[in-house]
Amino acid sequence: MTNMTSVNDRSLVVLILELQGESFAIETRHVHEILDPVPITAVPGADHAVDGLINVRGRVVPLADLRLIFGMPPEDEGRDARIVVIEVEIDGDATTIGIRADKVNEVTELAASSLESTPRIGLRWEPEFITCIGKRNGTFVAVLDMGRIFSRLVNRTQGITPASTSCAA
Amino acid sequence: MSGTDPTLIYRQEAAELLEQLEQALLDLEHAPGDADLINTAFRALHTIKGSGAMFGFDAVAAFTHHVETAFDRVRKGEVAASTSLIAVTLAAKDHIRRQIEQPDSASEAEGAAILDGLQAALVAQSDSTPVPAAAVTWRLRFRLPLDAVAMGTNPLLLLDELRALGPCIVVADTSAIPPIEGLDPTACHVGWEVTLTTGQPRSAIEQVFLFVLDDMQLDLEQVAGHASEPRPAAVAAAVASVRAEPSSARTTGSIRVPAERLDDLMDQVGELVIAQSRLKQIAGASRDIQVKAISEDIERLALELRDTTMGARLVPIGQLFGRFRRLVHDLSRELGKEVALVLSGEDTELDKTLIERLADPMIHLIRNAVDHGVELPGQRETAGKPRQGRIALAASHLGHEVLITISDDGAGLDRARIQQRAEEQGLLVPGAKPTDSELFQLIMQPGFSTASEVTSVSGRGVGMDVVRRAIDSLRGNIDIASQPGQGSQITLRLPLTLAIIDGLLVRVGDGRYVIPLSAIEECVELSANEDGRSRGHSFLNIRGSLVPFIRLREAFDTRTQPDPFQKVVIVSSGEQRVGLVVDQVIGDHQTVIKSLSKLHADVAAFSGATILGDGTVALILEVAHLVEQGKQHDDTRQAAE
Amino acid sequence: MSKTILSVDDSASVLQMVKLTLTGGGYSVVQATNGADGLARARGGGIDMVLTDLNMPVMNGLTMIRELRKLPQCTGLPIIFLTTESAANMKQEAKAAGATGWITKPFQQDQLLAVVRKVLGA
Repeated sequence: MTNMTSVNDRSLVVLILELQGESFAIETRHVHEILDPVPITAVPGADHAVDGLINVRGRVVPLADLRLIFGMPPEDEGRDARIVVIEVEIDGDATTIGIRADKVNEVTELAASSLESTPRIGLRWEPEFITCIGKRNGTFVAVLDMGRIFSRLVNRTQGITPASTSCAA
Repeated sequence: MSGTDPTLIYRQEAAELLEQLEQALLDLEHAPGDADLINTAFRALHTIKGSGAMFGFDAVAAFTHHVETAFDRVRKGEVAASTSLIAVTLAAKDHIRRQIEQPDSASEAEGAAILDGLQAALVAQSDSTPVPAAAVTWRLRFRLPLDAVAMGTNPLLLLDELRALGPCIVVADTSAIPPIEGLDPTACHVGWEVTLTTGQPRSAIEQVFLFVLDDMQLDLEQVAGHASEPRPAAVAAAVASVRAEPSSARTTGSIRVPAERLDDLMDQVGELVIAQSRLKQIAGASRDIQVKAISEDIERLALELRDTTMGARLVPIGQLFGRFRRLVHDLSRELGKEVALVLSGEDTELDKTLIERLADPMIHLIRNAVDHGVELPGQRETAGKPRQGRIALAASHLGHEVLITISDDGAGLDRARIQQRAEEQGLLVPGAKPTDSELFQLIMQPGFSTASEVTSVSGRGVGMDVVRRAIDSLRGNIDIASQPGQGSQITLRLPLTLAIIDGLLVRVGDGRYVIPLSAIEECVELSANEDGRSRGHSFLNIRGSLVPFIRLREAFDTRTQPDPFQKVVIVSSGEQRVGLVVDQVIGDHQTVIKSLSKLHADVAAFSGATILGDGTVALILEVAHLVEQGKQHDDTRQAAE
Repeated sequence: MSKTILSVDDSASVLQMVKLTLTGGGYSVVQATNGADGLARARGGGIDMVLTDLNMPVMNGLTMIRELRKLPQCTGLPIIFLTTESAANMKQEAKAAGATGWITKPFQQDQLLAVVRKVLGA
C-alpha cells in the first residue's frame, strides 16, 4: 500500500518544512495555516510526541513534534520555528493537529514525473510514514503520509489491555 | 428560511401527532375508559387527515379517514378501546407514517389489510357493554387554620389543584367571617365546599392538602359512583378545554426552533463566555473604573445568557422514555414475554444533545433487559414471581449530574458464568475475587458475551462495549448491580451539560488546571505535618475520616519549586473522596469545555480542555479517574492494616 | 414577569441544582448561603417564595423562618424547608416556626418543581 504508483499520475502541491536540517514535504491539501510559536500547555501523561496543546483562534489543538515521532533528538527551536496546523483523517474522523517545524521554506509543486514510490530499504525514515519521494532543486524530499503517521500514533497510545480497564469510566 | 418545502411543515407536524397518537394508545391500554386519551388519539387522527388532504397527501387522508371514523365511535362510547383495537390502530399509525415518509414502500394491500383488521376489531365488540368510566364523585368540606394564609398557603392554588383532578363545583362558606371589628385581613376566615368528580383515588385528593392536612378541618366523602358515561366525559372535556392545565400551559406559547439553531446559539454563547473572561482579566488589570464597571455588567449578562441558552436546550427525558414504550410493547410480544414498563422522573430535563446520544445505548440496555433479564411467564410462575415482568426507567438529578436507572425484576446476572467467561478471556486472573461491581464491569469488554446462542435481538457480544463507549463519550459512568433470581439494575451517571463547566482554577507548577466545581467538596491547607510525610500515599484526617490525597506535582511530574503552603482540594465521585494537592488555588472559572482530540483520548487524568482569559489552554481534570487512584491507595492502606 | 425564589443553603451543589431546576421551570432565583444572608435578602423585597435548608452556619433555617415571619413584607410568603428525615417532629417544629411546607432530601428535579408549583403557582 505504501508504494502507490498512482501517485505518479499527477503532481503534488506541497509545503516544504525543515526538521533538524532535513527537508520534508506535506501535501498542502492537509495544511490549514502556519503560525508563529504560541504558548504551549503541557499534557502530563501524554505520549512525548504529542505532549502539548495550543489555542488556535479559540480551538484547542494538540501539538505534535515530528522529530520525536521520527526518533530525532530534540533540539531547541530557533528563530525560524513555526507551527504548521494541519487537518488529517484518523480512523475516519477529521482531526486538527499542530506540527512544530524548525523552518518553513515554501509551497511548491512536485512534478508528477519526479515522484517515485518509496523504496522499501535504504531509507532513514520509516517507509510507512512516507507517501512517496519527490525531487526538488536537485535533491529528494519525502512526502509525509500524515494520516498514517497519526493513525499509528493513536493506535499505539490506545492499546486495550485488561489491566487498563477499571471501574471508574 | 426561504425555499422551505411547504410539505415539510406538514410532515413535521404529522410526525409529532403520530408520536402523540402512539403514546395515547399505549396509555389507553392501561386505562381504556380515559376520555382524555381517547380524545387525544381522535384529534391527532383528525388533524393528520385534514391537513393531509390540504397538502396533497391524498392517500394518507383516505386511509386515516377510516381510522378516525373508528375512533369517533370510541369517542361516542359506542365501542370500547379494546386491546385488539389498540393493536390494530398502532399498526395503522405505522402505516400512516410510512405513507408520509416513504410513500413508495407503503403498499395499498397492507393498508387494506389493516383496515380489515380495524373492522374486525370493531365488530367483535358490538355486543359487549361499553367500558364504564372510573370516575367517582366526592364531597369535600374544608376549612384551613386561621393563620394558614399568613404562613404562605394559598387556598386558591389548592382549589386549582382540585380542579386539575377533575371537574369541580366550588362554593365558599362565608359563615365564619367575623364582623369588621374582629376581622384580621391576613387570616383565613373562609371555608369551602367542593363537589369533585374524578377517577383519582382518595389519596390524590388528600395529597392536595399535604402541607396543611394536620392542622385543618377536612371532611371528605364519596357521594356517588360513576354517572352515566357520556356526561362526565363531556364535562371533563369541556372543563379541561376551558381551564389551561399546568402541563399544557407549559406547551402553549412555545415555538419550534430548528435544532441546528440551538447548536449555533450554544457555540456563540460559548465563544462569548470565553471572550468575556478575557475582558474580565484585562479589566482587572486596568485602573479605569468605567471599564471595570462595564466588564462586570458584561460578565453578568454573559452568564445569564449562558444559563438561559442552556435552559433553552433542556428537554424533558420523558420524550426519550416515551419511545421505549413501543419498543417494550413490541419486543415482549415478539419474545412471548409479558413486560410492563414503568417510567418515573420523565420531567427530568437534559441537554438535547445528551438525549439524542443516549437513545441508542438505552435501546440496547432495554432490549437486554427484555431479552435476557425478564424470564418467560412460565418460568416466572415456577419461581413464584408474578407472570408479568417489570422494567423500570427512572431519571433524576443529583447535584450537577443526571442519574438514569434501568432496572428489571428478572433473573439477574449469572455471576459464576461471568467470572468463568472472564477468566477464559484472560480478563481475570483465575482465583481472583472481584466485587460484584468490578465483575459486572467486565461484561462491557469488547467481545464478551455469555449468551450461548445469539438471538436476533441481542447477545451478539458487541452490544455492551458499544454502550460503554457511548456513555464514556458523554463523560458518564455505568454501574451494574444484580441479585440472582431477583433482577438487575443499571445506573448511568451523566454530566448535565456537555458544553460549559463551572470550575475551580488551580496551579500545579507552571501548569494551570480546572477542577469541576460540582465535584469539589472543600479546600483545605496541607499542614506542614502532613506535608512532611513524603511517601507517595498519604492521608488527611477530615473531621474524623481518612481521605487519601494525591500530590498533583508528583502525578504530573512537575519540575519547578513547590509553593511553601500546599493546598488540598477535596473532590468526590460517587461515594469516594480524594484530596488533590496543588501549589495554588486561583479561583472560580466558567467557560466552554473543549474536548481533547483522539491523540489525547488515552490520557485518563483529563476529561477535556478549556481556554483561559489570557488565551492559554488549561486542562480539565477527570475527577473520577483521580478518585479511583486515591481509592487504590486507600485499598492498599486498608489491606496493610 | 417571572416569580422570584430565594434559595438558601450552605451547600454550593444544592444551590446550583436548585437554581438550574427552577430557572428551567421559568422562575428567577436568588441565593444565600446562610440564614442571616437569607434574611437580609428577603428584607430587600421582591421575593415570591423561599426555599431553605435548616442546617446552616451563622443563622440556621428555623431561626431564619421565625425572623422572616416577623417581617411585614413576608406575610403570606410561602416558605418551604428541606428536611432529610420524614420524622414528624422536624416538620412540626418548622411549621410552628412559620414554614408553609417541606420537601424531603434527596429530592428529584420534578419533585422540586411540583412543590414550587403547588405553593406558588406556575
